[in-house]
Amino acid sequence: MATYDFLFDKTGLRDWCDADAVASPMSMSQLLSQVGNDDGTSGNTLPFPSLDTLHEACAAIPQTRDVTAGVEDGFLAIKDSLKFVLDPLTQPLSWMLDGALYAFTAAPWWVVIPLLIWVTWLSTKKRGITVFVAAVFLFFGVIDHLEVALQTLSIIMVCTSLSVLLGVPIGILMSRSDRLQRVMLPILDMLQTLPSFVYLIPLIFLFSVTEPKLYGIAIILYAIVPIIRLTDLGIRLVDKDVIEAATAFGMTDRQKLLGVQIPLALPNIMAGVNQTIMMSLAMVVIASLVSAPGLGVLVLRGIRNLELGVGLVAGFGIVLLAVVLDRCSKAALQRVDPTNKSR
Amino acid sequence: MKKILLATVCAAGFAAPAFAEDCGEVTITQMDWASANVVTSIAKFLMEQGYGCDVTTVPSSTPTALTSVAETGTPDILTELWVNTAPAYDELVAEGKLIELTDVLSDGGIEGWWVPQYVVDANPEAATLAGILANPALVGGRFDNCPDGWGCRTVNDNMNRVIDMEGNGIEVFDHGSGETLATAIAAAYADQEPWFGFYWAPTAILGKYPMVLVDMGGYDAETHTCNSSTDCAEPGISAYPSAAVKTAVTNTFQEREPEIAALMANVTFTNDQMNGVLAWMEDNNASAEEGAVYFLSNNRELWADWLSDDAREKLSALLQ
Repeated sequence: MATYDFLFDKTGLRDWCDADAVASPMSMSQLLSQVGNDDGTSGNTLPFPSLDTLHEACAAIPQTRDVTAGVEDGFLAIKDSLKFVLDPLTQPLSWMLDGALYAFTAAPWWVVIPLLIWVTWLSTKKRGITVFVAAVFLFFGVIDHLEVALQTLSIIMVCTSLSVLLGVPIGILMSRSDRLQRVMLPILDMLQTLPSFVYLIPLIFLFSVTEPKLYGIAIILYAIVPIIRLTDLGIRLVDKDVIEAATAFGMTDRQKLLGVQIPLALPNIMAGVNQTIMMSLAMVVIASLVSAPGLGVLVLRGIRNLELGVGLVAGFGIVLLAVVLDRCSKAALQRVDPTNKSR
Repeated sequence: MKKILLATVCAAGFAAPAFAEDCGEVTITQMDWASANVVTSIAKFLMEQGYGCDVTTVPSSTPTALTSVAETGTPDILTELWVNTAPAYDELVAEGKLIELTDVLSDGGIEGWWVPQYVVDANPEAATLAGILANPALVGGRFDNCPDGWGCRTVNDNMNRVIDMEGNGIEVFDHGSGETLATAIAAAYADQEPWFGFYWAPTAILGKYPMVLVDMGGYDAETHTCNSSTDCAEPGISAYPSAAVKTAVTNTFQEREPEIAALMANVTFTNDQMNGVLAWMEDNNASAEEGAVYFLSNNRELWADWLSDDAREKLSALLQ
C-alpha cells in the first residue's frame, strides 16, 4: 500500500518493521482516499523517501516528529548542567542592565537631560549635535516618552559597550589567526541570520524569565557581529609595507598592534562601533517581546491594539534615538581618529 | 500538504466541475495555537471536499488577522478569534467590515489565573486567591502578568489595584509576549517549580501541563466591565467570564460565498469535544491535521449536520 513497502519486503526487514508496530494516527491523505474524490492521483507520484514516508511502509522507522521530540528531550536532559555553567557566567549582565535602568529612570529629569547634553558636548564638541540632542530629549519629555526613551537608551548603552568590550579583542584575535577566522566567520553569519526566538525560548528554560539578561543576550549576540567583522577587516587591511617598516624598526608584536595596526584600523573599527549601536537599536522591538522595557513595548502595544498612532510615535522615537546615537558616536569617534588630526 | 492540494485541485477540476464554478479561492486564518489549527484543518477539509473550494490557509494571530481585514479585506474567513483580547474586533463588526457568524467554541474559552496541578496537590490552599495571598511562597512569590496591549492586562492591573500583590509579597512580572508567557509555564513544569499567572483554555499549553484555575470568588458582570476599562474608577475582584471565541467572515465574502459562510456558521465545538481532540493529540504526539482527521472520523453524524445537501452528497463515501 505504501510506496516503499517493496524496500522492506525485499530486504527481509518486514519482520523487524512489524515487530512492535503501534498504529500511527490516520493522516489527512488516508482520509482523503476514503472520500474517493481524488481518483488516486497522488498514488502515481514517487514521494521523497523521507522519514514520514518510510514510516508509512515500516512502522519501526521513526517519524520526523519523533526526531524533533528527541531534540527537545536532549535539550531538557542537558538543561541542568548548562544552567550550572551559563547562569553565573551571564549574571553580571543582569546586574548591569538592572543598574543602568535604575540609574536612568530613578534620577530626576532635570539631572538626566542636562547630564546627557553635557556628555554629548564633551564627547563631540560640536554645537549643532548638542543642540539637536537637547531638542530630541526635550521633545521626548513633552510627549511623555522620556522615561521609555531613557529605558531604551540605557539598555542600548549597556549592550553596545559590552559588545565593543568583547568584540574588539575577538576581532583582533581573528585578524592574527587565519584558522580562527575560518571558524568564526560561519558563526558570525549564523548569529546574524538565526531568528532570535530560536535561542531565546530555550534560554527561558535556563534562566528565570524575569532576568533582564534574556534580552541582553539577544541584543548582544546580534549587535556584536559588525564590530568583530570590522575590527578583523581593519587590521588585515593595514598596509603590509607599514608593518614591514615597523618590523624593521625592531617593534615587538605588542608594539606593532597597539602603535601601528590598531591606530591605522581605527576608521574601520569606528564604523563597526557605529554599526553595533544601530544593530542594537534594531533589536529593541524584539527585545520587548522578551519583556525589555522601553519604546519597543509601545510599538508592540500599537501593533496589538491597532493603535496606529501609539506605534508610529514610538517607532519615530526609536528612529530619533538612532539618529542621535549615530551622530554622537560618529562625531565622538572622529575626534579620537589620529588620521583625522593630522589633516 | 502539496499532495493534498494537488489532489484537491484534481478533485475540483475533474470530479466536480459544477462545484468549481460555485466556489472559488477561499482564504482562512490559521492561528498559531493548537485548537485553532484543528478548527482550520477541519474547515479546510469540509470546504475542499464538500464544496470544491480552493482553500489557502493564512498563518496569523488575532491582532494581525484583524489588521489585515481592516486594511485589505482579506483573509475571507477568520476563525477562533479570541475577541476579549482584541478591541479592534468590535469596531470592525460595527463598521460592517466583518460579519460575525458564530461562537466557534460554543462554551466559550476559560480565562483566568492558574497554578500548576502539583502545587495544589501539595498545598490545597493555593487553589484560592485568599490562600495565595496569605502565603505567597506557595506560588514562588511571582505573578506572571499578560503582555502590554492584551485585554487581560488591563483587567489584571485593575484587580491588582485592589489586591496589592506587591504589598503582599508577590512580584508582578509583565511579560513581553505570549510566547514567553507560555515558555514560563513549560519551564516551571520542567523543574516542578511553583507558577502563578494568567492563561487561558483550551490551549495546547494547558492541555500539556495540567493547571488549576484559581478561585477568585465568582464572576460579577459589573465589576468585570469596570475592570476591563483603563480608567475604571472602582475596580473590584471578579473572576473572568467565559471568553467569546468567534468565527467571522468579511462582508465581501458573505456576499460572494453565502453557502460557505452558512457552513462556517455551523462549525462549532463544545469544550468537551475540543479538549477530547487536544488530549488525543497530546497522547499520540499527533499534528493538528491528524487531530482534524481524528475528529472527522469519529464524529460523522455531528459534522454531517453542518453541511448542505450537495456537500453531504459529495462526502457520502465518508458518511456511511
